[in-house]
Amino acid sequence: MEIRAEKLEIAYGDYTAVANMDLRVEKGRITSIIGPNGSGKSTVLKGLTRLLDYKRGAVYLDSRSLKDFTPKELACHIGVLPQMHSAPPDFQVRELVGYGRVPHQKWYARHSEEDEKIIDWAMRATGVWSLREKSIHECSGGESQRVWIATVLTQQPEILFLDEPTTYLDISHQMEMMRLIKRLNRENGIGVVMVLHDLSHALEVSDWIVVIKDGEKYDEGKPCDVITPKMMREVYDVECDIVRLPGREKPVIAYREIC
Amino acid sequence: MNRTSQKRGFNALKVGSIWLFLLLLMAALSLVAVSVGSAGYSLGEILRAVFSGEESTIKVIIFNLRLPRLLLALLIGASLSASGALLQSVMRNPLADPGTIGVSAGAGTAATTILLLFPHLTNSVPIFAFGGAALACALIYMLAWKGGVDPVRIILSGVAINSVLSAYNSLLQLLNSDSLEGVLAFMNGSLSGRSWQQVKLLAVYAGIGLVLAFACIKSANTLQLGDEMAKSLGVKVSLSRVCLSAVSAFLAAATVAVAGMIGFVGLVVPHISRILVGSDYKAMLPTSVLLGADILLIADTVGRTIVPGMEIPVGIVMAVTGGPFFLYMLRKKGSVRGNQG
Repeated sequence: MEIRAEKLEIAYGDYTAVANMDLRVEKGRITSIIGPNGSGKSTVLKGLTRLLDYKRGAVYLDSRSLKDFTPKELACHIGVLPQMHSAPPDFQVRELVGYGRVPHQKWYARHSEEDEKIIDWAMRATGVWSLREKSIHECSGGESQRVWIATVLTQQPEILFLDEPTTYLDISHQMEMMRLIKRLNRENGIGVVMVLHDLSHALEVSDWIVVIKDGEKYDEGKPCDVITPKMMREVYDVECDIVRLPGREKPVIAYREIC
Repeated sequence: MNRTSQKRGFNALKVGSIWLFLLLLMAALSLVAVSVGSAGYSLGEILRAVFSGEESTIKVIIFNLRLPRLLLALLIGASLSASGALLQSVMRNPLADPGTIGVSAGAGTAATTILLLFPHLTNSVPIFAFGGAALACALIYMLAWKGGVDPVRIILSGVAINSVLSAYNSLLQLLNSDSLEGVLAFMNGSLSGRSWQQVKLLAVYAGIGLVLAFACIKSANTLQLGDEMAKSLGVKVSLSRVCLSAVSAFLAAATVAVAGMIGFVGLVVPHISRILVGSDYKAMLPTSVLLGADILLIADTVGRTIVPGMEIPVGIVMAVTGGPFFLYMLRKKGSVRGNQG
């Protein structure tokens, strides 16, 4: 499965946030969308998942236009974890994760045996099994983020879209989240498309990186080809070196010292 | 914890016992409500009168006055609470109540107009009140519509419409200050002098409304996860909002038509229910319905018995006692929350 945008243009009122965007994301690999604040990364993500309507262009899931899917049908193929989400704090973890089954159920249906199995699987896969009887407000930031990932996983999506999944997390939980995402991709074959701020993470876990600047695609490609001193200068206005360290497969970004 | 309660997401045993308690309370309150009043009877007297074949004053008072009134109070309490509970999910706002979407102002405007300008139509006030409520609500949603309905825009257009309508109401009352009795009774919500006719009417409307409300439980729950999350789960968010609001407005409008404006039930009861059983509508909505029925019955019974020879409208009793009780719950349990954050 793949999702393909052609000449995508998205506007908020008169303000064009994203223009002329050709993009392809596919099942089985991890794609990161990077770019400075306000460049339109999240908007692209929302356009690809129909959380926002696009003004011009088209988005296809395989060969079918996204607009031809009913919302439920689409939600059985892709899962989206928006940046803003909330649950009543007294909701139990297990209950919340169960909401991922909504698109697969009739409006009146309760969880079937199969639903329960999928919910259990998603909680185990994200390491929140031990929290299942806790309420959301008893979970730490890192835990609750994993609970939300479990919720989206319960949709059984082929591609998972995550909008800044590591925001507000400390470095240890950021790493944990990245490991989780990588594992879901490698072990379960789920495609992941995520908006990331941390370029080191993007470099580390992505198979493909899309760089966005001022609402347009600046570049895309394999991490090592895309993250270069020239891109950093032109997109982020930051000077850096890309350094290879012995014993590491991926290079690291060494930012110019602050003086 | 056993497997069942795990699956339900709430403590089934606790919720079940709360429901049972509220039902028993309802039975006890009903017995009290039929026996007290300007003529007080003991339980024995009532039972004897009811089961004896012959006509008696007790029988007439109980069957023609107290029983219909008791049932009305239960129906109204249940409907208003369900209405408020749904609306709080639609608006993601803890202060939303049927007044927010214009139901009270619309019904009030229609009723005032009829009572003051077309007094010969007084008997049709319920129909006009219902229509006014529906119109005001529809108007607010039309004004708030902009490619979808956003709660903040609904609340703001609600404020605007409410202020225009209440200005009109005040003007009309000022110009007709000598014939306000009927208007005041309507504005303060009263169950005085209601009969089986109103019970039957409201039973049908409340019945339909409550069934629809229970059908909305899943939508109401999903909306609590935030618009984008709900949308990405395949929910048509704006459509859900409109449907839930329509059910809520229908329930509130039906009660306003029969009993006039009774505030506070729709606001307070869902909050108390949330404190008791949590935010899951599967547990919270039934709790609200039972608790609302109980509370309104208490308020009406107190209102008609506390000052001998005089009736205090149930709307006033609710407002006077509901406010402080709400504050008490707030302080005791720490937080009364909306659905945001």
